[in-house]
Amino acid sequence: MENIEKQLREEAKKLLAGKKVDVVVGYEQGTLPLQTTPCFIENPDDVEKLVWNSYCSQNLAKFAHDIIHQHRESQARVKPEERTKKIVGIVARGCTTRSLIIHLQERQYGRDEIVVLGVPCTGYISKKKIAIAVDGDEILESTVTGDTISLKTAGGEKKVPLGNVLSDSCITCRFNNPLLVDVMIGEAAPAMNPDGEYDDVNAFENLPIEERWQYFTKEMAKCIRCFACRNTCPSCYCKICFAEQSQPTWIGVGVDETDVQMFQMMRIFHMVGRCVDCGSCVEVCPMGVDLRKFLKKLDKDGFELFSHRAGADIDNPPLLSSFLMEDKEDFIYDPE
Amino acid sequence: MAENKSNENWTPKIVGIVCNWCTYAGADLAGISRIQYPPNVRLIRVPCTGRINPFYVFKALQEGADGVLVSGCHPGECHYLTGNLSARRKFNMVKNFLSYIGVEPNRVTFTWCSASEGERFSKVVKGVTEMVKELGPATKLVKKL
Ligand code: SF4
Ligand code: SF4
Repeated sequence: MENIEKQLREEAKKLLAGKKVDVVVGYEQGTLPLQTTPCFIENPDDVEKLVWNSYCSQNLAKFAHDIIHQHRESQARVKPEERTKKIVGIVARGCTTRSLIIHLQERQYGRDEIVVLGVPCTGYISKKKIAIAVDGDEILESTVTGDTISLKTAGGEKKVPLGNVLSDSCITCRFNNPLLVDVMIGEAAPAMNPDGEYDDVNAFENLPIEERWQYFTKEMAKCIRCFACRNTCPSCYCKICFAEQSQPTWIGVGVDETDVQMFQMMRIFHMVGRCVDCGSCVEVCPMGVDLRKFLKKLDKDGFELFSHRAGADIDNPPLLSSFLMEDKEDFIYDPE
Repeated sequence: MAENKSNENWTPKIVGIVCNWCTYAGADLAGISRIQYPPNVRLIRVPCTGRINPFYVFKALQEGADGVLVSGCHPGECHYLTGNLSARRKFNMVKNFLSYIGVEPNRVTFTWCSASEGERFSKVVKGVTEMVKELGPATKLVKKL
């Protein structure tokens, strides 16, 4: 990790000093234990801030999109021939590069507007799992050494194997190494365990229908519609979101539970062929809604029905904007 | 709608979202040919199945439809050439997803029906009405007004 960090800073510095990029988006130390925050570095002397460790949870692709689009908006009143581009350098692991690929496929910006600093990923730590491991006590300090994490709380110190507290998305991750790279930092990371990827979904599918419905309503009832999941998701980049749209109003503003269910169903359904299972939404949700259970189902169907994995291949067109004459249609009703 | 549902004479309200060129014309043909079918389906005409946002289906269920029927041109016969092909992918995912979260699979039906298939249209409506009747009034995802 230290080596990777060192190399990352060097490469970022080179890019900034050589004016190859205008800004580098990466992670910096957060103010609380277990936390890193996205940071935006424009001055080559600030690269020492950059970190890369198991606390880097958020998918940064969101910021590449936002920075480029904000810049474009700021250029709206500039004469076309004088417009500039803002080049974003971005620290990206596997899932982040998949999100970048989705952006490129959806023509959100050009390939020349991003420079990808690919980093190998061994998974990030889920703060929810940590909270469970220490029974919700406040963490005063945490250090990762090798395969264990030691957590200091007011009540003492606890050592937990790293494997137990990695995010669910990471444990079964299929693409932990970057798929789109300009500068690769360090060596490729060892593979995770993608074989069990759909175990959870399969088990859920086999439950009786009423139990599934119970689970769905129970999870959705937790949601307070803070929209943090949407705000962090790199695939949720619309300027006006259906959730806040008033013409037409898709989502009522009252406390009716079906309004929350509708919001979730619609947001989740927007992720068909676009969710890269980065787990950012799960990580930021303050209420601990099990979003992944439902998102992963779309991923599974996308793969099993249409051999499509979101953002896995830049040449494979987006799931819902392509079709084949021989697509499955066993769900079509036949009255005969 | 609620008063209907406690009634033993309850009959389902089904929202049918159909494309202008095939199924709507098919329904017309059924009408012109005086083919009988249950009056439970309320048709909404859209230009093409490709234009149907899956949200319409969700929203119909929330607003109290007991069933939703979506129908368009057969694959390969779309007036806009491929609208129904991209719709097919969407609907496949919708159907699976709804049943995954625990909504009865028969609440939502997708089918094809061309302009010359008045007979088929009446059979579809009969079949769908039967399926939804069997399920009873919708309770899931329904907004309490
Ligand atoms: S829905 Fe969640 S897991 Fe999927 S891409 Fe968005 S933030 Fe990542
Ligand atoms: S982050 Fe959690 S609580 Fe907030 S809107 Fe998303 S699911 Fe609901």
